[in-house]
Amino acid sequence: MTIGLLRRALLLGAGLAASLSGAVTAGEYSLTVDPVTVDTGAFTRSGIGYNGATPGPVLRFREGEDVTIRVTNNLSEPTSIHWHGLILPFEQDGVPGISYEGIAPGETFTYRFPIVQSGTYWFHSHTGFQEPDGAYGAIVIEPTKREPFRYDREYVVQLTDAHPHSGNRIMRNLKMMPDYYNRQQRTLFDFLRDTREQGFDAALSDRSAWGDMRMMPTDIEDLQGFTPLMNGKSSAQNWTGLFTPGERIRLRFINSSAMTYFDIRIPGLKMTVVQADGNNVLPVPVDEFRIAVAETYDILVQPKEDTPFAIFAESMGRTSSVRGTLATAEGQKGDIPDLRKPPLLTMADMGMAHEGMDHSTMPMTGGTHTMPDGSTMKGIDHSTMPMPGGTHTMPDGSTMKGMDQSTMPMTGGMHTMPDGSAMKGMDHSAHGMMPAADPFYAPGSGLTPTAANGGKFLSYDDLRAQKPLYPHRDATREIELRLTGNMERYIWSINGIKYADAEPIRLQYGERVRFKFVNETMMTHPMHLHGMWSILDTGKGKWNPVKHVVSVAPGTTLFMETEVDAPGQWAFHCHLSYHADSGMFRKVIVEGGPKAKAASLTSVKGG
Amino acid sequence: MSCSNVFSAVFGATLSFAAIISSPALAAGSHAGGHGMHDMKIGTPGDPAKVSRTIEIAMHDNFYEPESLDIKKGETVRFVIRNAGEFVHEFNIATAAMHEAHRPEMMMMVEHGVLEPDRINHEAAKAMQASMGHGMHNEANSVLLEPGKSGEIVWTFPENTELEFACNVPGHYETGMHGKVKLSH
Repeated sequence: MTIGLLRRALLLGAGLAASLSGAVTAGEYSLTVDPVTVDTGAFTRSGIGYNGATPGPVLRFREGEDVTIRVTNNLSEPTSIHWHGLILPFEQDGVPGISYEGIAPGETFTYRFPIVQSGTYWFHSHTGFQEPDGAYGAIVIEPTKREPFRYDREYVVQLTDAHPHSGNRIMRNLKMMPDYYNRQQRTLFDFLRDTREQGFDAALSDRSAWGDMRMMPTDIEDLQGFTPLMNGKSSAQNWTGLFTPGERIRLRFINSSAMTYFDIRIPGLKMTVVQADGNNVLPVPVDEFRIAVAETYDILVQPKEDTPFAIFAESMGRTSSVRGTLATAEGQKGDIPDLRKPPLLTMADMGMAHEGMDHSTMPMTGGTHTMPDGSTMKGIDHSTMPMPGGTHTMPDGSTMKGMDQSTMPMTGGMHTMPDGSAMKGMDHSAHGMMPAADPFYAPGSGLTPTAANGGKFLSYDDLRAQKPLYPHRDATREIELRLTGNMERYIWSINGIKYADAEPIRLQYGERVRFKFVNETMMTHPMHLHGMWSILDTGKGKWNPVKHVVSVAPGTTLFMETEVDAPGQWAFHCHLSYHADSGMFRKVIVEGGPKAKAASLTSVKGG
Repeated sequence: MSCSNVFSAVFGATLSFAAIISSPALAAGSHAGGHGMHDMKIGTPGDPAKVSRTIEIAMHDNFYEPESLDIKKGETVRFVIRNAGEFVHEFNIATAAMHEAHRPEMMMMVEHGVLEPDRINHEAAKAMQASMGHGMHNEANSVLLEPGKSGEIVWTFPENTELEFACNVPGHYETGMHGKVKLSH
């Protein structure tokens, strides 16, 4: 604690001095990009790191600081560094072919940009598969103002999915045989073809056979065989964070995996989520949370007993896990829980979610609800409680029947009471009337996560911005992006067109664009827009959380809005490395803007 | 801080729960001495005539200023509490265990839309009162304030109990919005 407090005291002192003098602080940093050895205990392989290690160092910046970062490429191939989630001039964003030309072998590139935000972020190579090969590190930005929470010490907890094969080899194998790292699988399109040919009921009755179609667990994780690492250490290597009982600890979780979502819990401790993607949220006490690839979540815990606690991250497909330990002394190990059963992603349920969107099949129905006091609540107006995701456009262009066209997620809606009064955001689960439905997963998809201890599992629906960055306003236009794919050839695309064949998305400075993601695939896609914030529409208006990655579950439609305030050209892609590389990627060009800010868009080579 | 401000803040600002099975009539009734969960050991509502001093408390997002209190044993103090933040906050004097027991109740208020991030929804509170038989009522040891509002508590402290002042709006206590009451001679 002493060291942590001391460091914070020093930082506070520095910040105070800066504000008193009115001077802008300037920080100089240097990174080398180096060949390193990745040792997971299970296997050893060559990889890429920073300053001689993977993960790279934790870069600590201060809000308001002008940073200068010299990056020297010691590899025999080009490299790049992207500052994930940082708001900066586009030339500093580090995407070869879009921001700049990249960093040639032996070259030193100097990044210069102001730090205009605070929170937990990360950096990684945006070249080839260097990031899956180990080229990632963490960024912690100290805010100028006191944070809306208190803690005695903090740790970065950075996750990855280290694979014995190099990224290039994995991609070659996936292209050659999409199920190389998996069992054979089929796509949503195959199922829909079946329903057209056999009729929906026949397809449904076939559901027992779908196990033979090997939908599971291949569609949860299309890359298996990896060893999850926590701060570079496997379960056996047991990353350890020390604490003194009674201390409040901030854990900054970063998912730097190439492909793997993790469900995270600390058995025996309640976690309070205080930040998502670098922006503070109203604190949410939870038992478990899911972290999409490239997301960050900051949580506070307060262990009071003198005993070790496991930090347990289990992959979404339940094929692997990693355990670290919060310990009161070195050498302690938290108990490793058993892996849970893989979620059953059934085509039947997915089909029902799309085709049978009749409210009579939904858990939300049931005209009469018995209240705890024995009275009944009849006639809940379901038209005011739309189903999650709004309109689902089917691959053939038709829309699903019975879907409410509204975009309001199911929870947080208005419930009309028998006496005509309204109750906003009533959570029926609190009364044991019906299971809580997470509007960010397709009903019945089998993907909705539940907490291992039966407690609270964080939903996007729980996230509310502590400090909305922009005034809430209506979007000026909507852009639909269908997330599409062809597993047979391992091609992932947007609106059926892969990056190499696609026109850039052109945005005008000053607009507020509403992006509509329609996930027509059986995979979950973490979509990442560079350079500008992604305001996730959870139906909370001004409280909608401000993120840099939004995860779109299979069979769902998700909306995010972006205030277009950053001229230049930016990357916009699925953050699953092999999906991005195979084409689920777009260039975004922001045109116009004030002269001082307007970017000169010269043609950029490389990439 | 105007008088009307103080009044509107105190009026209906504190919320707590009767047992869930209790009738609306009981829940709406007077709870001058607390309702069972409370105990004389945390102190008693104070006599304004015996106030030795006034302590101003500012509630920010999500912390107090000051962050701890030095009180004499048996002292009667007037607290003038101002919500200087952008979210609803509570100032509640109790033991750590009592605060812990209070938090699920506050969570339920959130789930029923009574407690919104930056306001207290009195309509939702009425609906909850009507449908569930429990709702908001005043307690002498706490005040719940919307942003910009102020409130007062006059409290006589006990001789020796480990007390905390705390905000039990979900997530606020957990992230550090509580302070120790140090009782001395």
